Amino acid sequence: MHRTDPAAVAGAPGAASASAGVPSERPPGARSRRAGLALLGGLGLLALAAPRLASEDPLLDLRLGSARLTVPAPVPWSERRVRLEESLAPPSRRHLCGTDLLGRDVLARLLHGTRASLTIGFGATLGALLLGLLLGGTAALRPGPVDLMLGRVIEILGSFPPLLLALSLVAASGQRGILPMIAGIAAGRTAAAARFARAETLRLQGTSFWLAARASGAGPWQTARRHLLPMLEAPLLVQAAFGIAQAILLESTLGFLGLGVEPPIPSWGQMIGEGRGIAAVAWWTIAYPAAALAVTLALLLRLPKVDSRVW
Amino acid sequence: MAGFVARRVLLAGPTLLGISFLAFFVLSVLPGDPLAARIDADTPLSAEAEARLRAELRLDRPVLVRYAEWLVAAARGDLGRSVHDGRPVAGILREAAPWTLLLNLSALATIYGLALPLGLLQARRPRSAWARLSEGGLILASVIPPFVAALLLQALFAVRLGWLPLEGTGEPRSGFASPGGLLSHLALPALCLALAGWAFATRYARGAFAEAVPASALAAARARGLRGPDLLKHFALLLALPLVWLLGGIVPSLLSGSVIVEEAFSWPGLGRLMVQAVLGRDTPLAMALLLLSAGSVLAAQLLIDILYPALDPRLRSEGGETARAPD
Repeated sequence: MHRTDPAAVAGAPGAASASAGVPSERPPGARSRRAGLALLGGLGLLALAAPRLASEDPLLDLRLGSARLTVPAPVPWSERRVRLEESLAPPSRRHLCGTDLLGRDVLARLLHGTRASLTIGFGATLGALLLGLLLGGTAALRPGPVDLMLGRVIEILGSFPPLLLALSLVAASGQRGILPMIAGIAAGRTAAAARFARAETLRLQGTSFWLAARASGAGPWQTARRHLLPMLEAPLLVQAAFGIAQAILLESTLGFLGLGVEPPIPSWGQMIGEGRGIAAVAWWTIAYPAAALAVTLALLLRLPKVDSRVW
Repeated sequence: MAGFVARRVLLAGPTLLGISFLAFFVLSVLPGDPLAARIDADTPLSAEAEARLRAELRLDRPVLVRYAEWLVAAARGDLGRSVHDGRPVAGILREAAPWTLLLNLSALATIYGLALPLGLLQARRPRSAWARLSEGGLILASVIPPFVAALLLQALFAVRLGWLPLEGTGEPRSGFASPGGLLSHLALPALCLALAGWAFATRYARGAFAEAVPASALAAARARGLRGPDLLKHFALLLALPLVWLLGGIVPSLLSGSVIVEEAFSWPGLGRLMVQAVLGRDTPLAMALLLLSAGSVLAAQLLIDILYPALDPRLRSEGGETARAPD
């Protein structure tokens, strides 16, 4: 087990060391990885809690006999209520991040925008990974004509730049919303996931325990299920983090182009697109969503310490 | 070697066909009324008028028939007419292509010009102040989305400082602007496009420079008295290989990036055309553009697959596919 790749060891240090009888060691960078994971988890919680955190409805509204306890939400603004009289207000105590052209509080929209970005990012990446695993894994497990044909399918799909494919799919569907976005972005990312799955499966097929399992009579699918999938955990995590970052990037780009989720649901890319003409006078309409995007992407990309490619 | 090349070229044909079919499928078969973009919601069409429009667009034929018709016409060189203004698609593409080519080539030159020296520096002196500084810059460049970078550059250099024009190409209707004018209009878009690929390219170059030359060969060359520029020249071919490989990985990025940058800077190239075509449900134009972009990616990868074994004799004996640049 000591000769297996570092990624797999990093993914399951306890298991590998336990079987070899040495005290378990933490791989380098585990602490920063856990910090990154914790921060991402925080972001996810924020997304879930956003409707309660940023709302004009009170957070708590209790009645105890004749007494009443009302706790307003931390950000007491709606993300969709238009207040033209407060249009383009700079950041102040009242609106911590200012307001946009329609007088909507930027911080509230920022918090609600977390939901769109993370939902689409996770959803699209999940879809792409599932499809990719199916395509690439099957291609690697069944060499010969099947591999050749599936390889061509992957190549055809992969020749389309992800943005163009997602753009065409979302625009052609004629609908705006979370589901078309997830479908479009997943389609754009499937080829990359399939290539990864095929390469990893091929690599793992050369390992000793795979050969041993097959030599003792196990079928390819059975062996794959029992031995391959656990070994894929660590590289899969790396690929997933990178994929989610790319998906969020695609989602914000489509939002910027005006193809994002339907308003008034906010999305960071859309907010940036809307602020395009007025950036010079109202920097906060762009700066805050851009910062949110940058921070999220940085968290996701630093997680497995993978080099990033923007598209 | 020749067999390998022949096989790759032969496989490219069906792949291209598959690409065209997928593009047609994506654009034509999905739910969503293609007439919606052209019918004004306020002026309802009578039943006969709508039927006539559908027949004219051949929407009443099954998908495969429509695809076959498109294929036959395309083989003759007829890519159809734009829904928007009726001009032949091929002509529209020919007008916009040089602008995109100019933009992408400038961006490519900028990427390589920035990434190579930086990658070399980071490989040779990873702990120097410059290397650390540039690493910080790289991280920043890789988390700022290209459209944000475009807005930032515009806000800074065009609006605040007024050094460079905001958008467009500076080409007046009747003729071409002076070379200086063109350059000043090219500067921001090319820089923006380059930023997108620069982080990836620099890290790649760093890895390439650090690992391409085996330590033993380096020591031997140094022992023979080679220094500095002579050393680089000696290993030039070896160092060039991963950089050729990098090209294959960058092309799809550049194509995608062009869409954003051209849209943000109103650069009249193929990328901006793509946005207009897709938003305006201009299927013939969008189809041609999708085919062009996917075909370019395919061609780039094919070129790399052929060029790489030609440059690196170690790869010549196998008939398998060379690995691709990481996604």
